[in-house]
Amino acid sequence: MRAFGEVWRSNIFQKWVMAITGLLLFLFLIGHLSGNLLIFLGPEHMNEYGHSLRTMVHGAAIWLVRGGLLLVFVLHVWSAIRLSQRNRSARPERYAKVDSRTSTIASRSMALSGLLMLVYAIYHLAHFTWGTAHAQFYAGQKGWEYTLADGIVVPDVYRMVIASFHEPLITAVYILAMILLGLHLNHAIASAFQTLGVTNKRIVPVIRLVGPLLGIGVAIGFCSVPLSIIAGLVH
Amino acid sequence: MNLRLHIWRQAGPDATGMLKTYDVANVSEHMSFLEMLDVLNEDLISKGEIPVAFDHDCREGICGTCGMVINGRPHGPVAKTTVCQLHMRTFKDGDEIYIEPWRARAFPVMRDLVVDRGSLDRIIQKGGFVSVNTGNAQDGNTIPISKLDADRAMDAAACIGCGACVAACPNASAMLFTAAKVGHLASLPQGQAERSTRALHMVLQMDAEGFGACTNHLECEAACPKGISVEFIAQMNRDYLASAIGGRD
Repeated sequence: MRAFGEVWRSNIFQKWVMAITGLLLFLFLIGHLSGNLLIFLGPEHMNEYGHSLRTMVHGAAIWLVRGGLLLVFVLHVWSAIRLSQRNRSARPERYAKVDSRTSTIASRSMALSGLLMLVYAIYHLAHFTWGTAHAQFYAGQKGWEYTLADGIVVPDVYRMVIASFHEPLITAVYILAMILLGLHLNHAIASAFQTLGVTNKRIVPVIRLVGPLLGIGVAIGFCSVPLSIIAGLVH
Repeated sequence: MNLRLHIWRQAGPDATGMLKTYDVANVSEHMSFLEMLDVLNEDLISKGEIPVAFDHDCREGICGTCGMVINGRPHGPVAKTTVCQLHMRTFKDGDEIYIEPWRARAFPVMRDLVVDRGSLDRIIQKGGFVSVNTGNAQDGNTIPISKLDADRAMDAAACIGCGACVAACPNASAMLFTAAKVGHLASLPQGQAERSTRALHMVLQMDAEGFGACTNHLECEAACPKGISVEFIAQMNRDYLASAIGGRD
């Protein structure tokens, strides 16, 4: 048996780490998006959902998920840094002329789009979760309580979202981040399945077609919330 | 036709290289790209200059010796073609052509367009042996092999080891080369005995040589003169992991 460290440090193993954590993060995004889309059902559903997230399994579930997410996220970023460094050092001298055939803007900018999204994710948490950025819109502040149909008083998440996206700068940054997300996922999903070793001749073409569509679809889904608020469809 | 060439000139492994411009006149469209370089070299020799060094051997597109990046594409603009089989009819009068060596840390430039591809040989060596019975050669049809498996093995075996996949990869990764070699034997019953250790050893050697990792741009597949599919990379990823966690070595 090889020393585990040797296998762990190998490029293919790191790629597996990246692919598996990437797919887990994508699953999280699907969950996050389905929660966001509750805004179209009105404040009652949105705030009830927020309340249930915080109280599920006596409040333990959210911390378990957050812990898992953080671990997955750190592994994803860590393998990205390791692999990018090696990929850069593998070609010390650049070509004077490059004429690529199959690589796309998305596939070539994975590290950059990922890095920018990391920065955005921290700001996003500061805004909606910690309430440190844009505190005037934070759902946890005094006077922003919402009473659910069953009488429980909860923070008005719905109002926080509506008020935040009335701020043009917040909306612009959000949409920009979602464009980056779409770009990242455009390459990511099909790439992950290739790394994991899917070779079935019927499945591979489907993945290469559906992967980018799914990625862009998720990004559009996220954008639908601020766009509907600006258009006055949700208020 | 008349052409303007920008060719990478480098006197030796440690010398600093640079692109130098040459004008070549009266190039016939029937010449191969290498014959056009031969004409240039004849001209340089007659002028007392040092000819451009480049690798070549069979000039039939089957040996994998030749290779250079032409206008940003390994082996030039035509798909599934080695540079010796690339003809000047692909170009037109007045074209400017950039000619560079394969670029990778694992492929150090020896001189001009010649690179040392010994790293690929060392990956092959790490593949080790295939167990066979000694004694009389057995009948060719003793081991049943399905047509599908035989075709698949042949698709992988078509790799001529030219290194275009490494040259085309934005990360200078040798995944397609190594995957073709791993996949060739993995597709056949004769290759099963050492299958798991072979994948493990070859992949670890590939890393040790300083090749980059695969980011699934699929540039290698497009540049491969033999059209080898990235499907073999996916298969090697599986074989490697199985061997890394389940293997006995």
